[in-house]
Amino acid sequence: MAKNKVKNIINKFKKEFHNSNDFASRIYENDKQVIGMLFLKSMTNPDLFSQTIYMPIQNFQDKIDEKSLLEKILKNNSIEIIEEKDIEKNILDGKVVIFSDSFDGIVSVDILSFPSRTPSEPPTSPVIQGPREGFVEDFKTNLTLLRRRIHSKDLVFQTLIVGEKTNTKVIVSFINGVADKKVVEEVKKKIQSIKIDGVIDSYYILSFLEKRPDSLFKQIGNTEKPDIVASKLLEGKVAIIVDNSPIVLTVPFILMEDLQSSNDYYTNHHYSSLVRIIRVLGLMIAIIAPGFYLALQLFHYNVLPLNFLITIANTTQGLPFTPFLEILFIFLLFQILYEVSLRLPSYLGLATSIVGALILGDTGVKAGLISPPGVIIVALAKIALYTVPEEQSQITVLQILFIILGGSLGILGIVTGFVYIVNYLNTLDDFSTPYLSPYAPRIANDLQDALIKQPINEMKSSPQSFPNKNKERVK
Amino acid sequence: MKSISARQTGIILFLTILANKILLLPSIMYEKTKADSLFVMFLFFAVELFVLWIFFALKDKFGNKSLKDVLQNLIGKSFAKFLLFVFLIFFLFKTMLTYSVIYVYLKDLVYQDEFGFLALICFLPVVNQGVICGLRAMSRSFELFFYLVLAGIIFCLSIAFFTNVSFPYFFVSNPSQIFNTWFTYIFSFGDYLVLFIFMDKIHIKKGEKKKILSFVFLGIAIVLSIFLIFYCKYHDTAFMHNNALADLLVFSVQFNAVGRLDIIAMVTIMALGLFQMEIFQFAFCESFVMVFPKLSIKYAVAVFDVLFFIVYFVLIGKYELMIQLTTEYLPYFAVISNYILPILIFALSFKHKKEVKDAKTI
Repeated sequence: MAKNKVKNIINKFKKEFHNSNDFASRIYENDKQVIGMLFLKSMTNPDLFSQTIYMPIQNFQDKIDEKSLLEKILKNNSIEIIEEKDIEKNILDGKVVIFSDSFDGIVSVDILSFPSRTPSEPPTSPVIQGPREGFVEDFKTNLTLLRRRIHSKDLVFQTLIVGEKTNTKVIVSFINGVADKKVVEEVKKKIQSIKIDGVIDSYYILSFLEKRPDSLFKQIGNTEKPDIVASKLLEGKVAIIVDNSPIVLTVPFILMEDLQSSNDYYTNHHYSSLVRIIRVLGLMIAIIAPGFYLALQLFHYNVLPLNFLITIANTTQGLPFTPFLEILFIFLLFQILYEVSLRLPSYLGLATSIVGALILGDTGVKAGLISPPGVIIVALAKIALYTVPEEQSQITVLQILFIILGGSLGILGIVTGFVYIVNYLNTLDDFSTPYLSPYAPRIANDLQDALIKQPINEMKSSPQSFPNKNKERVK
Repeated sequence: MKSISARQTGIILFLTILANKILLLPSIMYEKTKADSLFVMFLFFAVELFVLWIFFALKDKFGNKSLKDVLQNLIGKSFAKFLLFVFLIFFLFKTMLTYSVIYVYLKDLVYQDEFGFLALICFLPVVNQGVICGLRAMSRSFELFFYLVLAGIIFCLSIAFFTNVSFPYFFVSNPSQIFNTWFTYIFSFGDYLVLFIFMDKIHIKKGEKKKILSFVFLGIAIVLSIFLIFYCKYHDTAFMHNNALADLLVFSVQFNAVGRLDIIAMVTIMALGLFQMEIFQFAFCESFVMVFPKLSIKYAVAVFDVLFFIVYFVLIGKYELMIQLTTEYLPYFAVISNYILPILIFALSFKHKKEVKDAKTI
């Protein structure tokens, strides 16, 4: 009868796990008792199981009870007494569940082990100077990376489970006494209200956190670098770490964050200010250069310098396309090359460059399909786009929009388009944070770390663009 | 309540005072009073500042109450609605006037031919969107563009100033001519009335009136500078140049290496025109919602668009008609709406006790 208890539990869970290949059960049986063990082979280390659990049980001479299991046999492991209803969860978490006919308790032993990447420099945000570590897919490593940077009892990690099928761990992190409680609660409330079958990456929960998920513009910060997250936590922001994702989300978010780079904080502040101004110029060129060129060519050619006007007239003469279609064509060509270069294996990259730059570009000009000024303008816009790589997807859409506006309505189209977008951006105020602050509205205190960056010792107070409790940073 | 700060209020006043005074007005006023038009402008601004003072006094007295509440307290519901309806009409035509001035400029200098619908396609959706986004979003946009607009205007003035300019003859008109010109172009003023319409959304802390006044005086200084430099530059031919700010650049020194610089004036004028239309249309829509409280701001925008189309086909296409309307018929209306009504409200307010409440400003 007692032996049946162990077998019944094993059979029950075998059935619940649909006889999955990686579901494993072990029975240790002697004349005194029967002990059952359940675990997932894919989530545990077999050597570790054998050395730290099975063999110590086997070698134990006396009758095993709960006390001896906890205090003698498995004393070097991370152990927990659980209830029967938690068996499934513990198995899924990579733990070994131990039960017996001779004692009532159920013991869970953590020997979770799975392949994991070591922290390395993220390809999306390389730095010249400063820390090179990046987040990885394993959330525990990510928590360690943050804890190593903020040695404080006030750093809080709160775990929530999201995804009916994936049961993914979503960790809300903040510094108690620095982050605004309302923001923390709002974030937790939004995450808890997510009803989704699975969360594969942090981007899955992004749209649930955004006030306007249908918007073109990003409203949640994201980064792969622990030093950036640590500095945002110190400012009073809230970080959202999702298991199996190297991208950590941060809220509240303002546009200015994307114009800043971690490099700025590890170099001279005069240089950082210059680079930030260049980034804004790059952003503007990326958005409006093709549309502006079209507007000048089609509607306002009289404001162009005479020599440039003559060059344009000479090079566009005899082209089969109208200027509008020509720019659209070149833009499309660049976009195709970009998509191809992203997806092609690296050994084909050189071939793509040759085909793209030489054959399509040069030959296209020589064949009289496209004009050199058109190629230069679109190429300039495409290169300038990467001064702010975080905004790449939004800017690409805006480029098309401004090409259409500039090509159909001239400068008027560009000005009205710009005002329209700025008006729209000013309505984005997630977590009571104006999207374009500290410039709209002007928040004088935060201008110290805006386009012009002050040295760290002069940044006396925390940013006021978003709610936080830490008023004084440098004393 | 989503209110705006003193700085944002100041910037709104700065922008409203500029747009339709820096293109057509210097030219058409010159026809009547020559360079003495500057004195007419002084007169205008003196009266405008008096209206601003009335606003501050009402704001002190009624705190964050809306104009509708203030009027209902003072003169009852029916009269309050009537006065708000007068403001509604005033702001409809103010928006039209701004639009027609910008329209004429763009048609003459840039687009020629059939520009009407092109302009409508450009302007209306953007202005509508600005109004629907609300006063706070709009004022944040103005805040962002403020320095760009200011830099554009100062650039235009500087380029014109450093070319050949000489003082025109002053004191060539008699006081009655000056007063007559003041009356004729009175509809181009009354910009500060917008403050009365959204007085409940303005949050002025103690001592912040100076901040608002600094923007007002900056706006006034710029308008007067444009008038002065424009007259210094063109003298008796000033009446031939319908687009003052742009013409200051068009006929100034040319930089061969960078082409014509009037694109800066063009962009500045377009932005200013859009902003001013947004402010006036918002004032129209706010008045509309106060007159018809059951309808939302989106209905107000739709009504504005319908009226705009009707007036567009009747007047804006023929801009002489618009000018005739604003200089011959609307001045009488403007005297009432711009000056008599604010003074009347101010006088009636004496019977009311002081009331101040706080508003949240972000």
